[in-house]
Amino acid sequence: MLLVKNVSLTLGRSRILEQVHVHARPGELCVLMGANGAGKSTLLRTIAGEYMHYQGSIALNGRELHAIPAAEQARQRAVLSQHLALQLPFTAAEVAGMGRYVYRGEAGAQDKAIVTYALRLLQVYDLKDRAYTTLSGGQQQRVQMARVLAQLLEAPDLHATDYTGRKMLLLDEPVTGMDILHQQLSLQLAAQLARRGVLVLAVLHDFQLAAAYAQRIIMLQQGRVQAQGPVDEVLTAAHIRDCFGVEVSVLHHPLCAYPMVVTNTAATLFSSSADKAIKVC
Amino acid sequence: MKKRVQGISSISLLGILLLLVIIIATGTGAMQMSPLQVIAILLEQAGIRLPVAYPEQMIAVLWVIRLPRVILAVLIGAGLGIAGASLQGLFRNPLADPALIGVSAGASVTAAIMIVLQPWLFAVHAGQSAGIWQSYAHNLVTFAGAIVTVWIVFRISIYGNRAIVAVMLLGGIAINALCGAFTGLMTYVADNEQLRSITFWTLGSLGGASWQTVAAVLPFVLVPLLLLPRMAPALNVFALGEREAMHSGVKVSTLKTQLIIYSTMAVAAGVAVAGIIGFIGLVVPHMIRQLTGPDHRVLLPCAALAGAVLLTVADLLSRTMIAPAELPVGIITAIAGAPVFIWLILKEKRTMTI
Repeated sequence: MLLVKNVSLTLGRSRILEQVHVHARPGELCVLMGANGAGKSTLLRTIAGEYMHYQGSIALNGRELHAIPAAEQARQRAVLSQHLALQLPFTAAEVAGMGRYVYRGEAGAQDKAIVTYALRLLQVYDLKDRAYTTLSGGQQQRVQMARVLAQLLEAPDLHATDYTGRKMLLLDEPVTGMDILHQQLSLQLAAQLARRGVLVLAVLHDFQLAAAYAQRIIMLQQGRVQAQGPVDEVLTAAHIRDCFGVEVSVLHHPLCAYPMVVTNTAATLFSSSADKAIKVC
Repeated sequence: MKKRVQGISSISLLGILLLLVIIIATGTGAMQMSPLQVIAILLEQAGIRLPVAYPEQMIAVLWVIRLPRVILAVLIGAGLGIAGASLQGLFRNPLADPALIGVSAGASVTAAIMIVLQPWLFAVHAGQSAGIWQSYAHNLVTFAGAIVTVWIVFRISIYGNRAIVAVMLLGGIAINALCGAFTGLMTYVADNEQLRSITFWTLGSLGGASWQTVAAVLPFVLVPLLLLPRMAPALNVFALGEREAMHSGVKVSTLKTQLIIYSTMAVAAGVAVAGIIGFIGLVVPHMIRQLTGPDHRVLLPCAALAGAVLLTVADLLSRTMIAPAELPVGIITAIAGAPVFIWLILKEKRTMTI
């Protein structure tokens, strides 16, 4: 159970988060959405313990983030950030194995089995001996996902353990750079984890992916929560206009279980007079 | 499993190489000793007698002149190697070396000040014991100079409660420049004799080796040699980035602080007694990485062993190439190190993303 209450955060001189209130239950896949600079990544990082000077309260299972030691946090929570650069030519298997750092020396052979399992799930096992630096962007992202999975899992089997109330997974744009097959695969994996009781919080940009996989959507605008709730309630034309400044239609297709978001013609994008002036020039 | 075997075998291979180099270096010089004679004299001390003949004065030469110098080279080389590898891991930058965070610059400026101010500082202590006292004080102050400079660089990089690695590199450049200016100032006011001393000090030499200097350097190198490899798993995760290391459960700020302290210790004591010896800390980790890969669990011990081998060989060359005179060892490490480094850069150029 994650409860974010009245959290505000200032970085440098700018206020990034303003009175944010978010709650997420184990077993849910929550998706954070919002325009560039709305504070999605910052909120995720704050929950990940990167900005400990936040105001307000972030409670994990009733315990305030400040009160949980770093190693214990790493056992409860795995985080996948954006833009991971690696200078040294570690192999894909070594990178995925780093996810087991916090359990080093405890699990022994289990560690290796979990890492292998994670690499197989993300379909990068055949790349395991390649240098990470030589992989493509999408492949690197999958290896990172395998690392995060290795940190989260307690057994080399997704279905063996119930993680309710014990594990949290934070994903910052996890599918950026992946091909469509692996986007679906990764999010299916996140959904499966959620079904095993893991609390999953992911930043996504794609409305279709969010609609298909999320149980709840939290929409941010300029550091505030604009809307939060089940997909049908949040993913409306009005909310999307408010947060993204884009006119859309939300359609329901008989063959599709979730709402489809379709952008209207491009002309409606440029509504302000300043933009019109630019267009005329 | 294959990897682990590979790691252990490269560590033992380098270990054997180091032993061979030690025996050869100890035997080579004005009085030539065969490797067997060297082994015989060393084992004699341990109470094992080998049927090898050697003249009586050979024992004295070996114990008093050769061995302390070789051991000193081994210690300083190992310290430079492991500190270089650790700092490159910390900065996640293959260009990092101990000089970058101000160790050498701080030591240089204090050494130059000590040399120039010597006539005033030690005027009161004229007498029999002045020489030894003076060299001890010199080493101690130089060591302190190195530590203080690194500490300033480290302080500059602190923001909030964490050290920002990029700021640390920039701070290092600034402090290096400042120290360079003061060293220059000292060079300017120095007289001819002092000028010679300063220049020779910056070129590096193991000529001052004795059991006393070995004893002075030993603890400062031994502690990092034992403690730095324990941080290897955390350093591996650190390669992903500071944030990822933190999310994976690494105590990032503790790791950084300890790493800086131990690396400085490993280098500063050596610099204090032997002056500036460049390129070992920079080149050795690169060479080892080509052999063993980037895993710090193998890299750190291997870099220590390889640093020891290289400096022992360099010092052997320094005292035999133009015998009976000596070439400063820093010149040899630079002449040999720079081309090797260029070759490594050319090889790695494709994959570099700094």
